[in-house]
Amino acid sequence: QQKRTKDFVVMAGADKNWYPTENAFLQMCNLPIRVVCRANAEYMSPSGKVPFIHVGNQVVSELGPIVQFVKAKGHSLSDGLDEVQKAEMKAYMELVNNMLLTAELYLQWCDDVTVEEITHPRYGSPYPWPLNRILSYQKQWEVRRKMKAIGWAGKTLEQVLEDVDQCCQALSQRLGTQPYFFNKQPTELDALVFGHLFTILTTQLTTDELSEKVKNYSNLTAFCRRIEQQYFEGHDKDSSTTVAARSAKRSLLR
Amino acid sequence: AYAKFSGAPLTVNTIHNSWRAPKGEVPVLISEDIVISQPAKILNFLRRQKYNADYELSAKQGADTLAYIALLEEKLLPALLHTFWVEAENYCSVTKPWFASRIAFPLSLYLPGKMSREALNRILLTRGGPPLYSLTEVEAQIYRDAKECLNLLSKRLGTSQFFFGDTPTTLDAFVFGFLAPIYKVCFPRVQLQEHLKQLPNLCRFCDDILTCYFRLTLSGHSPAGQDTADANLQKLTQLVNKESNLIEKMDDNLRKSPQHPPRKLTTLKLAVGGEGSPLNRLSP
Repeated sequence: QQKRTKDFVVMAGADKNWYPTENAFLQMCNLPIRVVCRANAEYMSPSGKVPFIHVGNQVVSELGPIVQFVKAKGHSLSDGLDEVQKAEMKAYMELVNNMLLTAELYLQWCDDVTVEEITHPRYGSPYPWPLNRILSYQKQWEVRRKMKAIGWAGKTLEQVLEDVDQCCQALSQRLGTQPYFFNKQPTELDALVFGHLFTILTTQLTTDELSEKVKNYSNLTAFCRRIEQQYFEGHDKDSSTTVAARSAKRSLLR
Repeated sequence: AYAKFSGAPLTVNTIHNSWRAPKGEVPVLISEDIVISQPAKILNFLRRQKYNADYELSAKQGADTLAYIALLEEKLLPALLHTFWVEAENYCSVTKPWFASRIAFPLSLYLPGKMSREALNRILLTRGGPPLYSLTEVEAQIYRDAKECLNLLSKRLGTSQFFFGDTPTTLDAFVFGFLAPIYKVCFPRVQLQEHLKQLPNLCRFCDDILTCYFRLTLSGHSPAGQDTADANLQKLTQLVNKESNLIEKMDDNLRKSPQHPPRKLTTLKLAVGGEGSPLNRLSP
């Protein structure tokens, strides 16, 4: 088989995040990827968000554009779906972004206990004092502004957890007993859901309530485990050591 | 619309002064002593009172409902907010006079401006990050997303009458609540409306709900003269609120459903201001 000269290089930030969503998606497309961590990744990215991929001389960030880009290169996971299914897939992706992502942001930046003990240290870790404090306060202010604009600022932690539960219930009902959301083949929705659930299940927070909500739905945890086993266990020797070490540390098979 | 679909007995009281609404928010649902504001909570309340339009849905369809509602809020709502509140011509010639005429002085001087600023704020904060650096780029993106969302809705609806078969559900109420203002309000700048008109099944969906549940005959679009504008405003106040309805007749289909055992129906009073929902999430 021809050796691929152009690897998809996934540029990650130095905060040691593994970015399961994008990683999973690229793995599902059977694309060779290399993960590289740089402290200034956020500044290199075209949209300011990490991770982003760097292929040849092109740079693409965020899942939506990455999916488009990969599709333009001839790899698509959702070609087998009909129009109605594609609409459904997009709707579920919005649900995940709307609920899970916002809930994760809320917990990281709006819950005072978590902010003090976990988020501030982690976000500011690559930088010396006082830059670390300044940057994390700035980020916190930004996130809180956004929460206020969409109406989440007035929510209590219980309400946020209830929303997460509702979202997980919907995902669990949609998944049912199938291996993937659209039966036999994984799609970008599977990558997205895996990414978020994996992050929730493995990130250390001050309380376990968030991960408990997800664990209530056994088909969702089984789903995560299955994807992890299928796409990440066998690739340890190819990926960079940091990914392997992280995945070993944070494996769901506890 | 949801109340209509589930057959809940509602009377609509139009209030002109949102100070009188208990927390300053409209629409507000008042049932006996309980006061509820915000559309999603109103829907939950109605459901708990056993006025449930989703009774026939399977678990998966319930999940789909949540997903599609998220899609509407993410992709369609920014453009809707923009068309009503941010687009200068639309705001000055239609939205501001409309709302100002329904709100008591001196709030009418302050409230529309506030809602406009909040709408712009929300759009910029949620959609305005890099690589979109100017307002025109953000606007272009949100309208692109909105048109894509309309296309997706059209594909999902296909040729059926409602999103889940023959009876309307929560999702139909939400979609109607978002689409009806786009469809019916006469704005000077109407790119979203034009796009919607190219999707005949969505237009048919709105028209069906309007004729079946709101008993409004479909007149053509009239120019924005003051008298006709007032008459339109009357009709449109009802349209824009997805929870507020005039009760003329309960729907027979839904009464036959097992959720309506013979019980004493409490009359729910729904207070409605001049403002509409879904825009009401902007109220403090």
